[in-house]
Formats: sequence, C-alpha cells, structure tokens
Amino acid sequence: MSVVSNKLAASPALKPHKSADMFSKLVKLSPRFLLALLILPVIGGLISVLLPAFGYAPVLEHTTLGLHGFTMLMQTPGLTHMVMLSVGTGLISTLLAFVITLMILAAFFNSPWLNRIQRLLSPILVIPHAAAAIAVGFLIAPSGMISRLVSPWFSGWELAPNGMFPHDSFGISIILGLTLKELPFLLLMALGVLAQPELGKKLRQQHKVALNLGYCPMTAFFKVILPSLYPLLRLPILAVLAYASASVEMPLILGPNTPPTLAVAIMHWFNDVDLNLRIKASAGALLQFVLTGGLLALWLGGEKTIKALFSDLLTNGEREYGGVYWQKITTVLTVFVIGFILLSLIGLIMWSVAGFWRFPAALPEQLTLLHFKSALMQMQNPLFNTLAIGLVTTLFAIIITLLCLESEQLSAKPMSRFTSLIIYLPLLVPSIAFLFGLVWLQQLVNNQAAFLNVVFTHLLFVLPYVFLSLASSYRRLDPRFAHVAASLGATPCKVFLHVKLPQLFAPILIAAALGLAISFGQYLPTLLAGGGRIATITTEAVTLANGASRRTSAVYAIMQMALPLIGFILAWVLPKYFFKSAHR
Amino acid sequence: MLANKCWQTLSRYSVCCVAFCICLVISFKSLASTQLQSRWQQIESLGKNQSVYFYAWGGDAQINAYIQWAAQQVKTKYNINLVHVKLSDTSEAVSRVLAEKSANNNDKGSVDLIWINGANFATMSEHSLLLKQWANKLPNFSYTDPSNNPAVNFDFGIPTNGMEAPWGQASLTFYYDSLAIDGTANNTLPTTLNQLLSWSTKNPGRFSYPKPPDFLGMSFLKYALVMLHQQSDDTLKAQLNQPATAQNTAQVLSPLWDFLNKLHPTLWRDGSHFMQSGAQMRRLVGDTELSIAFTFSAPEVPAAVKRYDLPKSIRSYAMQDGSLSNTHFVAIPYNASHQQGAQLVANFLLSPEAQAQKQKAPIWGDKSVLIQSTLTPQQQALFKTTQPHPSALPLNSIKRTLSEPHPSWVSAIMQGWQARYGVSQ
Repeated sequence: MSVVSNKLAASPALKPHKSADMFSKLVKLSPRFLLALLILPVIGGLISVLLPAFGYAPVLEHTTLGLHGFTMLMQTPGLTHMVMLSVGTGLISTLLAFVITLMILAAFFNSPWLNRIQRLLSPILVIPHAAAAIAVGFLIAPSGMISRLVSPWFSGWELAPNGMFPHDSFGISIILGLTLKELPFLLLMALGVLAQPELGKKLRQQHKVALNLGYCPMTAFFKVILPSLYPLLRLPILAVLAYASASVEMPLILGPNTPPTLAVAIMHWFNDVDLNLRIKASAGALLQFVLTGGLLALWLGGEKTIKALFSDLLTNGEREYGGVYWQKITTVLTVFVIGFILLSLIGLIMWSVAGFWRFPAALPEQLTLLHFKSALMQMQNPLFNTLAIGLVTTLFAIIITLLCLESEQLSAKPMSRFTSLIIYLPLLVPSIAFLFGLVWLQQLVNNQAAFLNVVFTHLLFVLPYVFLSLASSYRRLDPRFAHVAASLGATPCKVFLHVKLPQLFAPILIAAALGLAISFGQYLPTLLAGGGRIATITTEAVTLANGASRRTSAVYAIMQMALPLIGFILAWVLPKYFFKSAHR
Repeated sequence: MLANKCWQTLSRYSVCCVAFCICLVISFKSLASTQLQSRWQQIESLGKNQSVYFYAWGGDAQINAYIQWAAQQVKTKYNINLVHVKLSDTSEAVSRVLAEKSANNNDKGSVDLIWINGANFATMSEHSLLLKQWANKLPNFSYTDPSNNPAVNFDFGIPTNGMEAPWGQASLTFYYDSLAIDGTANNTLPTTLNQLLSWSTKNPGRFSYPKPPDFLGMSFLKYALVMLHQQSDDTLKAQLNQPATAQNTAQVLSPLWDFLNKLHPTLWRDGSHFMQSGAQMRRLVGDTELSIAFTFSAPEVPAAVKRYDLPKSIRSYAMQDGSLSNTHFVAIPYNASHQQGAQLVANFLLSPEAQAQKQKAPIWGDKSVLIQSTLTPQQQALFKTTQPHPSALPLNSIKRTLSEPHPSWVSAIMQGWQARYGVSQ
C-alpha cells in the first residue's frame, strides 16, 4: 500500500469513495491490460503464421502437418540472395548509423554544434520511411539532383547516363536510405539519455575531468561516456536493427527486384493469387523471424566480444588516437550527411512545383502549383483516414500509458524488467512475421470493421513510442505535489486529473505528436489490417512512388512530412498558451 | 361454292390465327422486356444508397481522378457511395475473394466491383468467383452492339457469359523521345520487333519493359511471342490459342527465350533490374533514362505531356508489324455485399456520358467500347474531339491488330521468365 492510499483510507472527509475506488481499480488493472494488448496480438499473430508454415491451413484444405512450406521456400530461386540482401542491408545500415552517431557525439560533445546538428536532424525523425526513400531516390538516380548538378558542363551527359542507383543489386541504395533515416533517431535517443538531469550532469563532469587529465575530447567520450551511455542505447539500437532487417518500404522503393529482399518477397507471396503460396509465405515469415532474431543475437554477441577485447583500452591511459584527424573526418561526414539530406529535400520540393524539367537542367523550366492542386483534390479521403486513425490511436495510447505510469506511482513499485521489455516487443519482432497472422485472426473475429482493425494494429507500434516518450517525464515528476494534494483531501482521480496532468501538458503533447507521427508513417499495418480498403497518405505515397509522376509522389512525400511536423509545432507552441505556470 | 366458302372460313381462321400469333409474340416480347425493365427497376430501388467498394488498379492519377468523377456522378444519380480501393496489382483483389470463399464468406464479400481482364478474369471464372449473367442485361449494354461486336463478349478468347461489363479498349502503343531518337544512321525509330532488337543493341540501356507479372510487361512479352511465331507453321501457331500444356510449352516459348537472351543484355540496367510498372517506365522516359516505351492507353501520353510528366519532344506511334489489342472489363464477385449498387455503377460506366468523358484525352483517353451507330446524334456529339495533341497517336495509325494468346500462356511465360531472368546471376 502506498503512502497516498494510506492517507486516503485514513481520511474521513473522503466523499466520492466509490469513484476513487473505480479509478484506483482502473489504474491497477491498466498494466496488465497493456501487457495483454501487446503480447496477445504479437504471439497470436506468430502462432497464426507458425501453423500454416508447418502445413496446417484448414481454409486451404491443408490439415496434415509437415515441412511442405519449408521445402517450397528452399526451392525458391534466389533465396540465398534474398537472405543475404536482408541480412547485409539490415546489419550494415544499423552499424553505419550507430558508428556515425557515436562519431558525431564524440566530436561535438559539450560543443554548441551538437545542439545545432540536433536541431537540423530532428525533423528527419518525423519523415516516414516511404517519404525518405522517395527523397533519396530523387537524389541518387542517374537523372537525379547529383547527376544534374554536374551535367552537362562537367560530365557531358545530354541524356541521363546508365546508372546503378537506386535498385542496385547489392542493396547499397537501401543501406544509404536506412542509414540516413535511422541516424537521427539514434542521435536523438542518445541526446535524450544525456538530457536526463542527474545522469547527464554526472557524465558531463566526468568528461570534464577526463579533459583536465589531458584526454583528447573524442577519446574522453569513448572512454568515459560511452560505457555509461551504451546500456541505455541498447534497446533503441536493437529496434533499429530489427526494423532494418525486415522493413518493406525502403527496399520496395530503393531496392533491387531480381530478387528483392526477403521481407518484400514474403509480402508478394502473401498477396499472390495462388493461395498455396501463403504456406510458403508463412514459412518465409518464420525464416525472417529467425533471421532477425539471429541478427539481434549477433549484435549482442558482438557487444560482448568488443567489451572483452577492448576493456583494457579504457584504462591503458592512452590519451590520443589521432583525435584531430578523426575530428576532421567526422566534421566532413556530418556536413556530407546534412548536405545529402538537405539536397534531397530541396529536390523533393522542386519536383512538387516543377513544370517541364528535362535532364540535365538543374532547375525546372517553369514552376506550377498544378500538382498540389490535383493531388489535394484526390487527397481528401486518405487525409481524413490518416488523421482519424492517428488521433484515435494516439489518444488511446496516451490514456493507457498515463494509467500505467500512474499505477506505477500509486503502488510505488517500478515497472518490472519483463514489462519494460514487452513494451518493446512489437518493435523487436519483425512486423512482416506476425502481421499476416494477426490479420488472419482479425478476419476471424470481425471481418468488416476495417477501421477498428487498423487502429488496433497501429496501436501496437504507437504504444511503445508514446510510452518511452512519456515515461521519463512522468517518473521525474516531483511526488510532493501529489502528496500535498492528497493530504488536502483530493482523491487519486482528482490528483491525477488536476495536479499531475496539467504539469505534464508539454510532455503529453510531445508524446502525442510522436504517436501521430508513428501512426502517419505506418505502411504495412495499414495495408494489411485495412484489407487495402483504408487508404492513408502513406499507402498512397508508396503506391505512387513506383508510379508515373515524380511530381505527384513529391507532393505526397511533402504531405507525409508536413503532417507530423504540424503535430510537433503544435506540441511546441500550445504549452506556451495553456498551463503556462506548469511549463518548465 | 362450298369450296369457296370453305376457303373463306379457312382464310378467316388463318388470319385470326396469324393475328393471334402476332399478338402472342408481341405480348411475349413486351412481357420479356417489361420483365427486364422490372428487373432493372428492382435493381435500381435496391442499389440506391448503397456503398460500392470498387477494387481497381490505382497507380495512375488520371484514372483515379476519373473514378472519382464517376463516384460523384453516381452519388448524385443514385446516392451511391463509390469507394475506390486502389490496388497496385489486381491479383490482390482476386486473392481476397478467393480467401473469402475459402473462409465460407459467401454473401458478405468486401469486393463489390473489380476492374479486370485476361488472366485474372480466367482465374476468377475458373473458380466460379463471379456473379453470372448480369452484364448483358444492363440497359446500356445494348450500346456496345453485342450481336455484331464479339469483343465485348470475349475476354482473351474466353466467353464472358455476362460476368463482365466492358469498360474500355486498348491497343499496345509505343512512344519515344524525338530528341533522343534523332534518325541518324545508328538511331532510327524501330517499327518492328526485329528493328527494336537491333536499335537496342546500338543504343544500349535505352529500352526495357516492366517486370512480369506486371500487365504491361506481360503484354510486351506476348507481343513478342505472337510476332516471333508469324513465320511458324500453322499447327504451331494454333497452339497460341490453345491452353498451355506441359507438352507444347517448351516448343512454343523457345523462340521467345532466344529473343530475350539477345535483348536482355542491351536493356536498361543490363536487364539486371526491371521496373515495377508501366507507370514507372513512363517516369523513366520523362527522366530521359529510357528513349522508347509503350503503353496500353495511347491517350495517357499527351495527357502526361500536358501535366509536364513527359517532355514536349514525345511522339506516339504504332508498330508496323502489329499491335496487341484487348478489351478491359468490370466484374462483380459472386459474394459481393452490394451487388445491385455495383450493377448500377457498371451500367453508369457504360453510359454514353461516362464513356465520352473517359475517352477525352485530358481526362483519361481510354477508347470507348460503345458503337457510334447505336447512339443518338446528341449522344454522338459527346464524343467529338478537338485538335489532336502533337504527342498523341495519329489517327488510323494502327494498321494491324494482333489478338491476345490464350490466358494460360501468361503463367507459362511468367514461370519461364522467373526461372531464367527473375534471379540475377
């Protein structure tokens, strides 16, 4: 029993006894509800993929268990290539994003540049993968911005040259796209860790001490900060790795197709006219599951190896490893990354308003708003769906997150390690592995409610981010406010609504904006759970990305970026006008 | 005298008899037509206010805009809420209906209307997934002159049996960048399949086709297959109109593989990557990566130029050795939840008003399936066109139409292609 409820029980002035009970009960139940909400669909989905993979699919009139599906899978031409492509792109892009994040952190730690880089890169976080892929594609294609900037004065190309990117058979384009997209995520996660008041302060002081002892700044970062920072970064990195090895949007827009990555191939098999291919697809989904699991294990193993190999280096007293050069390399790399992103965004915006723009012109012949006009005409319905799904999902995610965090405070017991891990479950299990099973289950339960199915599926991906975003602010909240209110006779419900929530207004809005951004960006879950019936800006953008008009897809990609950005701007502006006193 | 009287009576009887028969025939006919009429009235009253889920390929903004226009029209006409479910491949809808059937969902299907032809139609009709005998009873179906126009009753040689209402006609049309193909000795416009091969050899990387099973990529392979068999003996040629079997496949397809083995190394990206769709191919022409491409909907080319998606230097033409031609349809799954609404929509799509709108080059430019002689002068006036665009296909340029091979060849080509070229070596 917590202090608060003891006080409540002792207080005779307690009027709405019943409602207080209701609220406490609700709060108490919410963590279990959260667990069920995350575990059941993922496990249920996996089982619904497991059964057909071993040949049990009553709807297809297969009821004998066997390895038929796996035999079919193994006979697929190019399977090794698909697997290599998935493993290679996933691992290399994660590694690159991680290493560059570390280099930027190390080179600019305690410098005003870190904040500037953060401000430049954080908008990238809200760009959905599909839009990022479209933008990168614009840049690196043989007729893309880079090629236009050097043609024809330097290259002599009057027509677009025979190029290699995107769609190169080694997946370099996918790696590039994924790295650029995941880099800001990891960087912001790391900065978020460093922004924690106590930890951040401690680390900065240690860094200073190391500098005073004559360590070069980069060395100081790697020897002093990283060992404390890394454990807190582990889960986000694993989530990035899991996503990168099994994502569909980037490889679909940037990747090769003879053969594609495993995840893309699985998606095609599931959608094939020949329903028997679903057995093979289920087996493929299991293979993807094992593959991603293997990659995660490999990463953790690599972690151990590196720790064992390099732990001596931490204490060998060596102060300098060519830090000046590394500093320069990092600066060049950072400029390159930011320049690359800016150039692709500029290209995207130019395409969306371009009239005739023949290669090799670097600028369009004329500007027009035609593409925006015609796209906005067709966009109403997808726009409405996007917003409706996003708002309902995010609202629900925020309510359940708040209740769970409140239950943590009421019971004065921090959440178990198990629960914290489960929150990450939908991010660690490759979505292609469990989504098809989940859709199968949803069709059994309610076939018609496509909207609800989509909201429910989005929730799986929105909840983890909303939870992570809110948890630290909620736990940091000064408990004395609640104690004072309770001692004045306020019910837990009242304390929650009138004391805690107003103080949390700004973090709640940020979490909401993040939740909306995640929901807006979902492609596969929307497509599958909605049975193709629910069109959102993202599903349309992916469909159009492989379509005819570069201009129309540019407009859709811009819309994809604008929506979450509006959310974040609101989250930033609104606290200045409401609950001002509570905003710290 | 007696004979005369007899004859009189007889003739009076026979006149009566004939009159009776005529009456009978007329009344039957009117009965039948009133039956048809009342059937249609029933459909109209049931179909009003329904929501119709129209599963149609959604990769072209122009076509999507046309479907949106049609949705507004049926909204005002019948208060029907027409929802365009945009597919990237029609087979997604087919597999959905199949899945519903296997899950015993026989009357609450999610697909109400589907844009279809060829192999997907063959699959659906083979598994009895389509509603039968409705399309030929649509009031506007008579405008297609079905008795003199077999194209509206056959889909890739398979009788439609009233399961599909025709929606448009298409012929394989080529287009090229006139600044890139300038007519110099090594760079003259190819107008036959063989010239295409030799042109691509001299100008490597400037031509390709969408990856099968994309509809347009498949169509190019079928065009090549039909052309390569022009000189074959009649028994071999006849196999193209027969189902593909284990016995005839290797023999019929071997000229195609020989041709592709020569063509592929000259293609865009050396044939190691293929684009996903005809739409993407068009974008690559706009990017000047490709210099020549093809489409099944000739008017999309000038429309794309007007929207700046293609450069002004684009010109359309038809291959001299022949153009593959076919009709595309809309069909209703057997388990559609809103069958009546779907029929109202299909009938509207066949109306002179909707067909004329669709044929206009700035709208969609899809060739109408209606026969002009069945229309009133006012209706014909709807189809009048203005000055053709310089990028449009010149009138009467299609000299020779090639009919589609049997749909079973699609999967035979697909499998062979996948095994040979689907996995880069």
